Amino acid sequence: MSLVLVQILNGLQYGLLLFLAASGLTLVFGILGVINLAHGSFYMLGAYLAVTLTAQFGDIFVALAVGIPLAFVFGAAIEWLFIRHLYKRDHLQQVLLTFALILVFKEVQQTLWGNHPLSIPTPSYLSSSISLTPDLGYPVYRFALMGICVALALAMMFVIQRTRVGRLIRAAESNPEMVEALGYDSRILYRMVFAAGVALAAAAGILAAPIESAYPGIGDRVLIISFVIVVIGGIGSIRGAFLGALLIGLADAFGKVFVPEFSSVLIYAVMALILVVRPSGLFGRA
Amino acid sequence: MLKTPSTRALLLLACLALLFVALPFFVGPYGIKFATRLIILSIFVVSLDFALGLAGLISFGHAAFFGVGAYAVYFVSSDEGAANVFVALGAGVGVAAVCALVIGAFACLTRGFYFIMVTLAAGQMMFSLFHDTDIAKGADGAYINIKPDLTILGHTLIDFDDRRVFFYVCLALLVFTVVALYMLARTPFGRVVQGLKSNETRLSALGFDAYRFKLAAFVVSGAFAGLAGALFACIDGFVTPDLFSWHQSGLAIMMVVLGGAGTLFGPILGALFYVSLEETLKTASLVGDFVSSHWLLGTGAVLVIAVLLSPDGLAGFLRNAARPAKKALLQPLGDAPAEPRRASILATKDLAKTFGGLRAVDGVTISFEPDLVHAIIGPNGAGKTTFTNLLSGALKPSAGEVTVDGVNVAGAPAYKIARRGVGRSFQRTNIFATFTVEENCRLAAQARHPSVVRLTERLSGSEQAKVAHALTVVGLADKADTIAGAMSNGEQRQLEIAMLIASGGSILILDEPLAGMGPEETRRVIDLLRDLKKNHTIVLIEHDMDAVFAVADTLTVLALGRLIAHGTPDEVRRNEEVITAYLGGHAPEIETEGAKS
Amino acid sequence: MSERPLLEARGLNTYYGASHVLRSVDFHVGRGETVSLLGRNGMGKTTLMRSLMGLVVPKSGDIRFAGVEVRGWRPSAIARAGVGFVPEGRGIFPNLTVEENLVFAEREGADGRRDWTREAVLDLFPRLAERRTNWGNQLSGGEQQMLTIGRALMSNPSLLLVDEATEGLAPLVRDDIWRTLRLIADRGVAIVVVDKNLDDVVKLCRRHIILVKGQIVFEGDTRALAANDDFVRSQLGL
Repeated sequence: MSLVLVQILNGLQYGLLLFLAASGLTLVFGILGVINLAHGSFYMLGAYLAVTLTAQFGDIFVALAVGIPLAFVFGAAIEWLFIRHLYKRDHLQQVLLTFALILVFKEVQQTLWGNHPLSIPTPSYLSSSISLTPDLGYPVYRFALMGICVALALAMMFVIQRTRVGRLIRAAESNPEMVEALGYDSRILYRMVFAAGVALAAAAGILAAPIESAYPGIGDRVLIISFVIVVIGGIGSIRGAFLGALLIGLADAFGKVFVPEFSSVLIYAVMALILVVRPSGLFGRA
Repeated sequence: MLKTPSTRALLLLACLALLFVALPFFVGPYGIKFATRLIILSIFVVSLDFALGLAGLISFGHAAFFGVGAYAVYFVSSDEGAANVFVALGAGVGVAAVCALVIGAFACLTRGFYFIMVTLAAGQMMFSLFHDTDIAKGADGAYINIKPDLTILGHTLIDFDDRRVFFYVCLALLVFTVVALYMLARTPFGRVVQGLKSNETRLSALGFDAYRFKLAAFVVSGAFAGLAGALFACIDGFVTPDLFSWHQSGLAIMMVVLGGAGTLFGPILGALFYVSLEETLKTASLVGDFVSSHWLLGTGAVLVIAVLLSPDGLAGFLRNAARPAKKALLQPLGDAPAEPRRASILATKDLAKTFGGLRAVDGVTISFEPDLVHAIIGPNGAGKTTFTNLLSGALKPSAGEVTVDGVNVAGAPAYKIARRGVGRSFQRTNIFATFTVEENCRLAAQARHPSVVRLTERLSGSEQAKVAHALTVVGLADKADTIAGAMSNGEQRQLEIAMLIASGGSILILDEPLAGMGPEETRRVIDLLRDLKKNHTIVLIEHDMDAVFAVADTLTVLALGRLIAHGTPDEVRRNEEVITAYLGGHAPEIETEGAKS
Repeated sequence: MSERPLLEARGLNTYYGASHVLRSVDFHVGRGETVSLLGRNGMGKTTLMRSLMGLVVPKSGDIRFAGVEVRGWRPSAIARAGVGFVPEGRGIFPNLTVEENLVFAEREGADGRRDWTREAVLDLFPRLAERRTNWGNQLSGGEQQMLTIGRALMSNPSLLLVDEATEGLAPLVRDDIWRTLRLIADRGVAIVVVDKNLDDVVKLCRRHIILVKGQIVFEGDTRALAANDDFVRSQLGL
C-alpha cells in the first residue's frame, strides 16, 4: 500500500516536471511550427545552471529565480541566430538544424562543466521528510517541487487564458496571418514564445537538479519523453501535454517497480496504443 | 522523380569506386577497417535515402533497423563455429524487415511531425529493450567470438575474419544496394513510392492505398539498413545497444541531406564528407589541439551552416544544367485505347456533412447520369467543395449515401472510391510537381492495377497508349518531358484532367477546372469536356457562368449546403430561388444563415 | 496634404510563384472615399488587397499610404499606419471570445483618433453585444463577418479593406452588412470593397474598378458604370 502511495507521488512529481519541459515543446511547435530537437539541451542547460547558480548563491530557489530570466534571454538569442531561419523550411531542415545544435550544446556543456555528474544540494530547510504513514516518509523538497510546478502550470494557464499576451498566443495559433494584419509584429511574438519554451525547459531542469543531479546525457532522455508526451497529448495542446505528462510520469513510476526492465518500453507502448486509437493524439486537431 | 545521375556524378562515382577497389593495396589494416566502416555507413544511409529522399518518410529511428541487423548476427553466431555468411546476413535483413514492418505498421498511420516522433520513439524503445534487459548481455554489449564465413565442402571461400575479403564483400554489397534500390525506384512500384513524397492526396485520389505503399517502402528501407547493421557487427565482432541510439539516426539523416536526399548516390558523398570532417577535426596535427579537443563543436557548427546555406546538399553541385527537353517520343495519334467502357451513375441520397454545428452539406439527394456534363454552381460557402469531397471520399459523410452504379461507397477511403472509377481534380491544382508530365500520367495510368508488388512494366504497352492518348487529348503531348511543377497554372490544370483520363476513371469530378485559365485555354477545355462526356459522367464545379451555360447538360444549385434547384440550364436560369441566392437581387430570407451553436 | 490621396499605388506587379497576377496596376483611394473592386474569380482582386496590406510583396511598383512609401513593410506596420483588413473567409480567431477578438485589435488610430471603442463597435453590431462571451467558432457566418469588421474598426483605421464580406450569407444579413459599411463610411473611414454583387456595391461605393486578368479595364463612378452596363456585365459574367 505504502509503495503504491510513494509511486503515485513519484509519478506525479516526475509528470509535473515533464509537463514543464513538454509544454515548452508543444508551444513552440504549435505556434512556430518548428520541431525543436534541441529542447532537451535547454533542460540540460537548466540542470547545469542550477549547479553554477546554486554554488554562487547557495540556494536552489535563488538559482531558479535567476536562471529562468537567463534562459529566457538565451532562448531569444538562439531564436534570433538560428530558429527564425527555419519558419519557412520543411520539417527535415528543422530536424537537422536543431540536431546540429545539440552537438554544439553538448560540446559547450562538456567544456564548461566536464563529464562527471554534479550533484546539487537540496536546501537544508527542505531536507527533511514528511511522514505520510507511521513508517513512511517523503522528502519535503519533492513536495515543494510539485508545488512550484503546479504554480508554474497555473501561472501559464492564467497567462494564456487571461492576458493580452495569452490572447496573442492563442490568436497566432489559429491564424498567424491575421495577427500580423491586425498590427502585431509576429517576429517579436515568435521570439518571445521560443524564449518562453526555453525558459520552461530550463526551469524544469533547475528544479530536477537536486533530485537527479546534472550529467551530460540528461537532456536526451527528457527530450524523447517530451516528444512522446507531445504526441500523446496532441501537438500544440497544453492541456494534452498536461494529461500526457502525468500519464507518462505515473506509467514510468509504476513500471520501474513492477516491470523494472521494461519500464522505458512501457512508455512507448502507451504511446503506440494511444496513436492507434487517436492518430493525432488526445487533443490533437485531425 | 529519380533521375539518371548526371555524367559528372557518374564519373565521380566511378573514380570513387576505383579508388576503393585499389585502397587495400595502399593502406594498412587500420585504413582498411576505416574504409570498411565508411562503406557500411554508406549502405546504411543509402537505405535511409530510399525512405527519406524517395518516399518522403522522415524516419528518425532508422538506427533501430541497423541495430537489430547487427544483433541478428550475434544471435545466429555461436562459440562452436562460424555462422554461414548467408545465414548471418539473411538474418540481419530478415529481422530488420520484420521490425520495420511492425514499427511501420504504427508509424505509417501518422504523418509529418507525428511520423518523425513515432519513429524516433520506436528507435528509443529498441534501445531501451536492449539496454535495460538482459537480452544479449544488456548495456555492456556482446561479442561475436567467431565471425561468419562461407565454407562449402571444407573449403572456406569467404571469411569475414579476413579484413581484405570482408572489405571487398562490403564494397560489392554497397554497389548492389545502390543498383538494386535505383532499379526499384524505376519500377511502377518505385514511381508510386516517389508519388508519396510528391503528393499523397493526389495518389489516394487516383486509387492507390498510400498506407500500404508507405509501409512497403519503409520495409525495403529497413531491410537494407539491417544488411548494413549485419555487416557492421562483423567489423569488430561486437554489438552494443549504442547502435540503436537516436544520435546515429540523426547523423544518418544529416548525411543523407548533406549529400542530397532522393538521389541514392548523394548520401554516399554525405557520409564521406561527414566522416572526413569528423576525422579532420579530431586530428590535432591538422587543426591544432584546441580544435581537435572540441571537434564536436566544430562538426556541429559546420552542419548548422550547411543546413542554413544549402538546402539541396552536395549532389546539387553535380546536377547537370537544365537538360534540353527531349523531343516528344509520344506517337501523335490520339486514338483512345480500345477498351469497352460504360460510364457509371454517381448518386447521393440525403447526403449530409456537419462541421461542429455548421451544416456544410445538408441532405442532398441527386443523381448524375452518364454521358452528360453536370454543373454545380452556388455562392462561395454553399458547400460545393465539401460536397465534392464527400463524393470522392476525401471527407466522410455525417449521414446519407454516395452510390456508384447503385453500390453505396459512403465512408469508404478515397482510394477505394477512386478504384470504382471516380476521378477528381482539385480546386487548387494537385499534381506531382517533381515528376515530368509524362510520368504524372504514367502514374495515373498505373492506378488501374494498384498492386504494391508491381516491379515490371508488363502492362506498359496499353498504359503507354493511354498516356499518349490522354496527353494528346488535352494538348500537352509536346510537353511530355517538362517537369510538371514548372508549367503554368492553366497547363497544370490540363495535366490534372489528362491524369484523370489516363487513370481510366469513368466519373470525372472537376473542381473549378477553368480558374486561372486564359480564354484560349478555356475554350480548349470546354471542347474537351464536350468530347469527354461521350463516355464519361462529368461533374463540374465552376464559377465561370459563360462556360457553365456553354457546356452543362444539367445544372445543380447549392446554397447553404442545400440543393435549391436542379434541371436544365434554362429551367434553372428562370428559377426564382436561384436568382435570389446566387445571381443577385433580393427576396425573402431562405433560412437563417450558418451555424447556431 | 488633402489633395494627395490617402492611398496611392503605382505600377504594381505581383507574382505568385511563376504566375503574374497583377500587371502594372495603378490604384488610389482618397480620404473617406468608397471604392469597389469588381471582377470574376481569379482576376486579381484579392491579390490586390493582399498586396496593399503587405501580405504579399509586389515585385515592382510603389504604394504610398498617408504620404509614406509602404511597399515592403510588414503587414503589422501597415496595419499600425492605419489600414484595417477584413479578409476573405473572415479570419476570426475561433479560440478567442467575441470580446477578446475585439479587444485584440484595440488601438488608437495613427492620427491619434479613438473614435472606435469597444462600446462604439458593439453599438454598431448589437448582435455581437449579445454574444460577447461566445467563442469565435460558435458564431454564425453573418456574426463572424460582423466580428471581423468590428475587429478591424477597433484599430481606428483610416482605410478599411473589405474582401468578399457578404459571400455565402443570406440576403437579409447581407443587407445588414452593407448598411453597417455605409454607417462606417459616413464616419469618415475610407473603404475598399471586393464583391461580386453589383447591385449592392453601387449602394456603398462612389467609384468602381473592374479587374480582368490582373489589369484594370474599367474605372469610373456609378454613373459611368450604368452607362457601360453591357460591357460591365460581360466582364463580370452576369
